[in-house]
Order: sequence, then structure tokens, then C-alpha cells
Amino acid sequence: MFPNHDFQLSRRRFGAILVAGMLGAGLVSPAFAADPVVLTTRIGSDIGNLDPARIFQIENQTVATQIYNGLVKYDEATNEIVPDLAKSWEVSEDGTTYTFHLNDGVTFHKGYGPMTSDDVKFSFERVLDPETGSNYKGQFAAIDTIETPDPMTVVITLKAPNSGFLHKVAAFNQGWIVSRKALADIGKDQYLTNPIGTGPFVFEKWTPGREVRLVANKDYFEGAPKVDELLFRLIKDETAAAVALENGEIDIFFGLQEPAVISRLQASDKVTVLDRDANHTINLVLNTTNKPLDDLKVRQAIIHALNRKGLIEGFFKGTKSEAASVLTPSFQEFTDDVATYAYDPEKAKALLEEAGATGAEIELVAPAFNPYDKVVVALAADLEAVGFKPKITVLERGAYLQARNKGEVDTVITGVVGAPDPDSPILSMLSRSAFPPGLNTAHYEGIEDLIQAAGTATSTEERKKVYAEMQKKVAEDLPVVPLFTDHLFIAHTNKVKGFTQNSLFTMSAYPVSIEE
Amino acid sequence: MSGKAFGRTSQFVITVLGIVTVTFFLIRAIPGDPAEYILGDYATAEAVETLRRQLGLDRPVFEQYLIYMGRVFTGDLGKSVITGRPALDEILSSLPPSAALAFIGLAIAVIVGVPLGIVTAVRQGSWADIAIMIVALLGISFPVFWLGIAGILLFSQELQLLPALGASSSGEVLDELYHLILPSLVLGLSVAAYVTRLTRSAMLEILSEDYVKVARAMGVPERTVIWKLALKNALIPVIAIIGVTFAWALGSAILVEVVFSRPGIGTMILKAVTARDYQLVQAGVLVLAVSVVAINTLLDMAYGLVDPRLRSR
Repeated sequence: MFPNHDFQLSRRRFGAILVAGMLGAGLVSPAFAADPVVLTTRIGSDIGNLDPARIFQIENQTVATQIYNGLVKYDEATNEIVPDLAKSWEVSEDGTTYTFHLNDGVTFHKGYGPMTSDDVKFSFERVLDPETGSNYKGQFAAIDTIETPDPMTVVITLKAPNSGFLHKVAAFNQGWIVSRKALADIGKDQYLTNPIGTGPFVFEKWTPGREVRLVANKDYFEGAPKVDELLFRLIKDETAAAVALENGEIDIFFGLQEPAVISRLQASDKVTVLDRDANHTINLVLNTTNKPLDDLKVRQAIIHALNRKGLIEGFFKGTKSEAASVLTPSFQEFTDDVATYAYDPEKAKALLEEAGATGAEIELVAPAFNPYDKVVVALAADLEAVGFKPKITVLERGAYLQARNKGEVDTVITGVVGAPDPDSPILSMLSRSAFPPGLNTAHYEGIEDLIQAAGTATSTEERKKVYAEMQKKVAEDLPVVPLFTDHLFIAHTNKVKGFTQNSLFTMSAYPVSIEE
Repeated sequence: MSGKAFGRTSQFVITVLGIVTVTFFLIRAIPGDPAEYILGDYATAEAVETLRRQLGLDRPVFEQYLIYMGRVFTGDLGKSVITGRPALDEILSSLPPSAALAFIGLAIAVIVGVPLGIVTAVRQGSWADIAIMIVALLGISFPVFWLGIAGILLFSQELQLLPALGASSSGEVLDELYHLILPSLVLGLSVAAYVTRLTRSAMLEILSEDYVKVARAMGVPERTVIWKLALKNALIPVIAIIGVTFAWALGSAILVEVVFSRPGIGTMILKAVTARDYQLVQAGVLVLAVSVVAINTLLDMAYGLVDPRLRSR
């Protein structure tokens, strides 16, 4: 075995000579000694929108993570909320006023000047403005006013106390701070692919279908990053990406999902595979307004009929974990003290019979991407075995979104990918405010009082208690069947040092170095 | 403008207009809405409505069509709703990598496929014919993305000769060509199988013509029969094949682009269709249609060079 870098040079030179021979040119590429240190990361889909008010999709969020900061952020390892642009903050005794003190000397990229409290105010108010059309407007619903007594202080007053408010201003999606001046200069359309932030890397160039290039922000307020450039290479095919990783053509394999590729890379001595519970579960959402799913017994029959453990071990080769609640253990508010349902086809049959619904038709709607389009086949087989008549409908993403937004389908497969903020999955999937076109295709409204109580809880303990009750209630009412807790796999070459895998489904390149 | 040139031009314009119109209505007939796609999973009804209004999607489809056609004639193909950049710029910037791949692939296909097609026709029924036709059949039967993955596993992983990625990030021309070797070989060889079969049929047809039989009966040397009489006439269908194959190579290039992580018009349009990025799909189809129709028109004219009888038609 030879070191990756030399290998790359020799291959490159070989290729150059080959091509030069073909062209009759005879020239070989110049020396590589002075090349900048480039960290190359595979992404599986192209980017397209880096405006925090509108951003979604893990690739966009992963690129944006390098470019922006929030007032606070999640510690990569522990998910604890720690300072970011705000070096400290105080909460008033009644829990309604948050005063953030900003770090000095933070500047926006590309000469857009110092970051001040006005930019924070602008960023948040922009999300709240209906004309912006931000999906995250609801995340800031608790905000009453935003004041800027001086350039380094932001005072946010809430309509009511809210112990989860820091999650909303954490460095993710709507929490990322943009520059008022940059947005005015660049214009909101052009801004989507010309983002200006304060983060450790500066957006340089996006070549659609190929790559996104970022360069190190040497003036980053916490110190310059350890690599000179960060290159996100679009590689759709996981097998090709695995070969590229082992060959040293890329350094980090982000978005690793296929069980076969995972086990192959785990066996390689050239790379390290990291594995962590994600912040989301994948669920079968049951429409509680459709017959016979409006009957609790039928929903119980479904959950007993599904061999979820078999799915994890057989289909996913152990690359996912079991889930009993829509929250995963990565949330501080997680509890495992909820009703659980073992795989028990006999019980399922009995429940179905009791409900008088044997032979009931049930439509399983899944998006047409791996692995959901295949998982649904296993689910249908389990349901058929206990007496349902399942019908599988796999829809391409656009059609899937439309079907889901109408909210009339029996079931859909949904996961809410995001920050370890319990509101994110719970409000998005189980609150009345998320009725279709939102994600609550279950049309569930059994925890409205608890959602209200959680919103106004003032202590962390009280909050945890309320969320535990919610998880308990949801596990009894079964508007959703949690199928599995997703796992995040990231692989990198052994040259990559200092990488910490987070549970946000993103990655941060700031602490990473490449050591030969 | 001569009558013939006018005829060609109007045929060209009508074809392109037809394609643009069909694309316009077809993409809107597919379930799914750009606003829902752009806003993602957490979209509220209010946000979707606002965006639909901003994008002009709240107007009747026919009105949207009239507005669009009005703009097309001024050269404005609208903006991509995902990136906010002019759709035509996006498409044109993705054209060079696809064109490079399609042309090199097609060149390989012709260089390999035409001679093989001739050999198999001339030696019909021989071992060489059977062997080449079996390989060509395999080449057509294996999906091009399968050949791509096999190529990566063989040349990148096992032999470690060529990169797994089909595009370079260095910006150097030589490096770019080096990365292009494997994708263009995969595309070229898969299209070559098709060219071989078509050339063989064309050649066989010519060889069964009376004038070839007569020439042979009169004792004209076989070499002259094949190379001077038959090949020249077989070239006409072969040129037509190349025209058809170009469109096919562009289509296969999409799959090759995906496997080899190459940017290009194929991946761009695929992404645009998924995102219901109407303007981008329309611009992409327009550019593709114009290139395919233009190439075929050029090839039509090339027939005249090969066969003077076709010039006056």
C-alpha cells in the first residue's frame, strides 16, 4: 500500500502523460508543492438555496453551516447550547426578555463590514415578514419585539415565557445571521447562491452539477480554519463515492446511507466510518380521519403487525436503531417511559377482527427515493399477513409533496430532519397548526394543551416533564408509528483529523485538518 | 432565401416551437408544484400562496403560456426558481461538459463501430461476425450506468489507473481530459455497439443491391467492390445513423454524467424536472432541441456532399 497523496500524483501524472501523448502536446501539469490545502467532501445532491429564511435540504444546510453563525449554537458532540455570535445572554426573571451580548470584531465576508445587532434584528424580522415567504416564520412566533440598544446588544422580548427559545436562535436554518447590507446589494434572488455570512469559510463559487468551493475565512473571529479551501463535490452514486474516498480523490464522504457501502467502508483500513444517532425518526403517519384508521384498535393492529426489528436487522443490516417515540435519545427531552408495541401478528389479527376491519384497504404512500420506496414493500407484506389489503403508492418527490399537502392519503412515510429542538418534530408532525399542507397528515390534535404548556414552561425540568407526557400520550394514541431512528454515517480518510460528527445531519469543517 | 433554405428554416422553427409548446404543457401536467418544492417540508399554505403569486403561477396556464412565448421571442427564457439565475445562462453553462462527453463518446463510437460494422457485413456468417455481434449485443443490452460502475470498479479500484470521478476540480485542461477518459470510453463503447449493428445492416443492404452483384459478376476486384462501390453508398445511412446516435449519445450522457459525477445538461434538466423548475426545464429542452435539430439539418446537408444526386432534392 502506498500513501494516498503520492498515489494521486502518480495517477494524475500518468493521466497527464497519456492525454498529452494523445494530443501530441507533451506537457505535464505544473508542480503541486505550493497547492493550497483543500478538504474535499462528497455531497449526494446539488445545492441551490443558501438563504437561511428559505433554506432546507441537508446539502444546503451543510454548506451553510460553514458560512453562517447564529447567536448560539449546538455543541457538535453534546448538543448543548453554547455561545456563538453572542458571547453571553441573560433571561429576565419572568422568562420573556432575552438580552444577547455580541462578540466584538466579527465581520461579514467579502468586505461587508462588522456584524452588529442591527443585522440580527434584520435577519429575524426578515423571517417574520410574510413577503419573504419563509417556512420558518412559525419558529419565531414567540417573538414580540427585537430591540438594539447598542451595536453589540440585542434584546428580544417574547409574547410569553418560552424555555425553548434558545433553540430558535441557534445556528441552524432561521437562526443563521445574514448581513442587511449584503442582502440589499445582492438582491434576494441572487442571494440564494451568493451568501454572505460571518462563518469560518467564505462562499467562492458554485459550479452546478459539479461542486461548491469555499475558501478559509482568515479573519474568522475564533481564528482561521486549518485548511485553505473546502470543496463540496457532488457525487450521486455511493459506490463511486466509496471508490473515490479510498483512492483519496475525496477526504470526507458525507451522506453515506447504503448498508452495503457502509459495511464495505467499515472493512477498509484506509478510512474511518463514524456512526451516530440522528435527531430524527422515520415514521409511518396514519391519517386518523380516514376509515378504518380512525379506530385506535386498527392503529394498534398496524403497529403490532409491523416487524420493525426485522426491518432494521434484515433490510438495513443494523444501520438504524429501534424507535418508540418521535423523539430520539439525542434530545434532552427524550423519555423511554412510553407504551411499546412488540411485533405480534396474532395480536394484530385479533385487534383487527375486534375492530371489524379485517380485509380493510390501506394505502401506503412513499416518496420515490431510496430507501423509502423499498421499505414500504416490507411494510405492506407485514400488513397483508395480518389481514389488511395494502396498496403501495410510490410517488416522485413533486407528486409526493402534492399528495401529502392535500392531506387525504391514508398513510405517508415522513421524518423531520433538524436540530435537537423537540418542537421541530412535535410541532411539525403532531400539532394542529401543522395540519395539511403541513406535516400533520395524521390530523392529530390530542396534545394541544401539552404543546401550550411546553411553550410557556419556564424551567427546564418543567419542560422535560411536559414533553415526557406528550411522548406518552402520542404513544398511546398512535397517530404515527415510529419505524426506526435514523443513523448518520460519515466516512473520512485517515488523513482527516479533528472531525466531530454532529447529530444535525450536517457537518462542520472548521476544526478539521489534513495530516499527511 | 432560396425555396429550399426557406423550407429547411421553417421546418426547423416549427419543430422547435412544437417541442417548446409540448414541454410547456407537459411539465405543468405532472403533479407537483414548484412553490411546494422550493419551500420544502415545513411550508405553510400562506408561504406557498405568496411564492406562487411571486412566480406568476397563480395565473391561468394559457396566460402563462402567452407570457412565456412573448418572452421567448425576445430571448428571455426566465429565471430558475431554485437559484434565481437566468435559465438560459444556467443551461448554456452546463452545455460544454455534456457536449465534450457526447462528441468524444460519439467519435469513439464511430471509430470503433463503423469499421466493425463493415467487417461483419463483408464477412457475414464468419466467426469474426458472430463474435463481434455477440459483443455488440452485450454492449446494447447492458445499461450504460452498469458499464459505468463496472468501469469504475475495474479501472479506478482494481487497476488504479483512472479516477472514479469523471470531472476534475483543478481547472487544468489536461487534468479535465484525464478525468474524461473513462466516461467517454464507457459512453463511446456502449454507443459503438449500436453503431456497429446499424452499419452492418446498411452495408448488407448495399451488398445485396444489383449493381454490386453485377460488378462482382463482371470480375471487379472484391476490394474495389467493397471500398469504392459499397462503402460510399453505405455512408449515407451511416451518416443518418450518426445523427440519430448523437441524440442517443446525449441521452446516454445523462446516465454517464450521473455515474461519473460529471456536471452537464442532462443532470441539470433532470434536477430541474424533479424540482418542477419550469423555466429551467423549458430552457434546457429548447437548447437540446435546437442542438439536435441543428445537427440533423447539418447532416442532411452532408448527404449532398457524399451523394450528388441528393443535392437537388
